[in-house]
Amino acid sequence: NIDPESLLPKLPSPEELKPFPTTCATVFRGHKGRVRSLSVDPSGVWLATGGDDGTVRVWELLTGRQLWSVKVSDEEAVNVVRWRPGKEAVVLAAASGDDIFLAVPPIVDPETEKASLELLDAGWGYAAPNPALSAADANKTTTPPQWIRPSSTLTEAGVCAVIPLKYVVKSISWHRRGDYFVTVCPGSSTPASVAISIHTVSKHLTQFPFRRRIKGGGPPQTAHFHPSKPILFVANQRTIRAYDLSRQLLVKILQPGARWISSFDIHPTSSTASGGDNVIIGSYDRRLLWHDVDLSARPYKTLRYHKKAIRAVKFHPGGRYPLFADASDDGSLQIFHGSVTGDMLSNASIVPLKVLKGHKITGELGVLDLDWHPREAWCVSAGADGTCRLWM
Amino acid sequence: MDSLSSAAASSQAVQRQVRVQLTSKQEDIALPENTGPILVPTGLRRYALSTLVNNLLGSDKPIPFEFLINGTFLRTSIDEYLTANGISAETTLEVEYVRALIPPLHIASFEHDDWVSSTDILSATSPAASWASSAVSQGQERILSGSYDGLLRVWDMSSQILAVSPAPAEGGHSASIKAAKFVTPNQIASAGLDRTVRLWKYVENDDGFSGKISPQLELFGHKSGINSLAVHAPLNRVLSASNDHTVGFWSTKKSDAPAAPEEALPSKASKSSKRRKLNPSVSTPQRGPLALFSGHTAPVSAAIFDAKDSTVGYSTSWDHTLRTWDLVTSALVDTRTTSHSLLSLEHLPEVHLLATGTSARHITLIDPRVSAATVAAMTLRGHTNAVVTLSRDPHSTYGLISGSHDGTCRIWDIRSTKTDKDGVVGESVYTISRKSLEEEGKADSKRVGGEGVKVFGVSWDKTVGIVSAGEDKRLQINRGEGVLPSKI
Ligand SMILES: [Mg+2]
Repeated sequence: NIDPESLLPKLPSPEELKPFPTTCATVFRGHKGRVRSLSVDPSGVWLATGGDDGTVRVWELLTGRQLWSVKVSDEEAVNVVRWRPGKEAVVLAAASGDDIFLAVPPIVDPETEKASLELLDAGWGYAAPNPALSAADANKTTTPPQWIRPSSTLTEAGVCAVIPLKYVVKSISWHRRGDYFVTVCPGSSTPASVAISIHTVSKHLTQFPFRRRIKGGGPPQTAHFHPSKPILFVANQRTIRAYDLSRQLLVKILQPGARWISSFDIHPTSSTASGGDNVIIGSYDRRLLWHDVDLSARPYKTLRYHKKAIRAVKFHPGGRYPLFADASDDGSLQIFHGSVTGDMLSNASIVPLKVLKGHKITGELGVLDLDWHPREAWCVSAGADGTCRLWM
Repeated sequence: MDSLSSAAASSQAVQRQVRVQLTSKQEDIALPENTGPILVPTGLRRYALSTLVNNLLGSDKPIPFEFLINGTFLRTSIDEYLTANGISAETTLEVEYVRALIPPLHIASFEHDDWVSSTDILSATSPAASWASSAVSQGQERILSGSYDGLLRVWDMSSQILAVSPAPAEGGHSASIKAAKFVTPNQIASAGLDRTVRLWKYVENDDGFSGKISPQLELFGHKSGINSLAVHAPLNRVLSASNDHTVGFWSTKKSDAPAAPEEALPSKASKSSKRRKLNPSVSTPQRGPLALFSGHTAPVSAAIFDAKDSTVGYSTSWDHTLRTWDLVTSALVDTRTTSHSLLSLEHLPEVHLLATGTSARHITLIDPRVSAATVAAMTLRGHTNAVVTLSRDPHSTYGLISGSHDGTCRIWDIRSTKTDKDGVVGESVYTISRKSLEEEGKADSKRVGGEGVKVFGVSWDKTVGIVSAGEDKRLQINRGEGVLPSKI
């Protein structure tokens, strides 16, 4: 009679898995109303945020000092902000209402500023202006938008280009090389053919790669590129599909079993695992799911720790620390250790490490977005309470 | 424990005795030479020993003393100390006594319009005065502040502003200042988010109530914001720590500074200079660095000169390392890797230690001489947020003060330690909170993330005391008046 517990591998204690964030180190206050989105820049020095007040802001990460703010909309919330990866140029993408804004915040040295402006300016005039549209053509919603120059006020503030989509953008995700990014308009009234766009910065080119609605689960919610292969992962409410873009092929379907996916993230390439083999998914029905992509279409682990919807999930980038986190409307973030091995037969070891509390639930909403520092085991969170927080 | 056994226990402790040899390194509080070992009850603690020494000295006004046995402060009864260290009561204990530090009292607060990032002191006892030929006389002390509003201010001790640095259009900083130092009584160095190191001439009018800060030299080369500066007047040298991962090495003299690198200069045509309306009416000479030391792989938080050997520099970075530089050859001499982002740095030369403040809320002491793998000699614990500024105790070779984003400054004596699972751990001797919190009636409340009260800079001078700069838009001056030991 062997105790079955004794046969299970023993999970390490959180103490052995340091470092991970435990304490609120900085509060970022300034937004009026909810902060919807935030992103730490590739240098790890600045934090960008966007919120219901229609502003995009940049802050000094360590001190919480606001360095830059631009009001991109008088009526619409800024739903998402994402820095372009790479250090040779500094570009911030933000979406408010139907528009995507590409900006070079005035925080960089003259040389980098020049490189950033050149990067964003190179595409002017590349895409031939649309030929005069016939009445019939004008009604076709699939005509890709022309990138336009922002108003003089926005230009003055540092915004360089605007992409007017006709529907509300809620998700922006850059390709690792920084030349293109994918956006998703998840509204149920958005025609399927224009809900997902891929934007090429160097050509000022916007394309709609999907003609039809992805099956089995309502409108698309969010999308990310594979960390090393030409594959795009797209989530609708219930499934995640991976497409080989060059061959126009569906290569994988993940069925997490959640009722409504809010967000997902793809495991980065680390010293022990190649990127893209594991995916974490968060759902409005309070589930956090870990998928081993090669193992099964079903989740390897389902974690139900939160009392309210999960709004964001994210792996620590770069594979330096085996950490991931989720953010919930219950006002908390939860930090996990999740290490994967290169061994096909061994599974990830997942250990809950810490619940981070501090955001106040406001109008039934809690933590709306999270991001990790590119090098440190620090994370940041955006709250419906109007604050952002740095956790160390 | 009932009263009977408690009485028995204490009488037992009283009966146990140990021979102590009391010594002091300070002449003014030394016992007569013929005072030999004294037999004392082992139940005595610091307070009783302090009373005993005062009786032996025949002091009119009792002086509070602290007691050191084998280099560590006595924090228990002698009996507990003997037991904990396995020392027999038969031995004669060598006990050194020093003046206890008196809690530093709030003297004044100087209010600013914006966050205060940095501060420095000019007094007869400050480095800038000691390097200059002209002494600073009593009552003529000055305090320098650098602010997020981009301005430098020189204050006198009665909270009057004597001079403010010019606005961007008149040759001033175009963004927040992060570091400010007196080079001499007539020269100031500053740096910040506009990526420049600037040198200023500071002259006071004869009335002593006003002065002028005028631009002397603009130093270009860093590609990102500058976090801190160190100055060395006899060498005419400045070290800067930048977010661009480099340490800058600069000359304060226009004549021996190289030309400014073209790509670092703000182009008049550039979008951001137009945006920031950078058309200064004043034309200040522009120069470049003597060298930019590369090696760090993340923002550099601090760079300092070795306090005894000015051919050696040290730097700390968010890349977790402390690096030693040969300033003559610009060579990287040594790299120590720790477990955390390092955010501040100070040298304690007499004890051969470098103190570095971390993002993990503690201070690590490292002996830079040991050529083996990283040896954290000691850890100082107590802060509840990042430790971003450090300054040596001008009175004691064992002391230092730290400033943290937790909204406090803490005074440490590296002899005040205990040993736990992490090795030798120090606890702070005193904590200085922000007066601004107290004035709001929230002295005891803890601000999450140090919101509104983060400390960004601290400077400690023998004459003026402790000056700290913070998010509360204040310089705060504290002093343990008249009771600090004159020397150790
Ligand atoms: Mg596997």
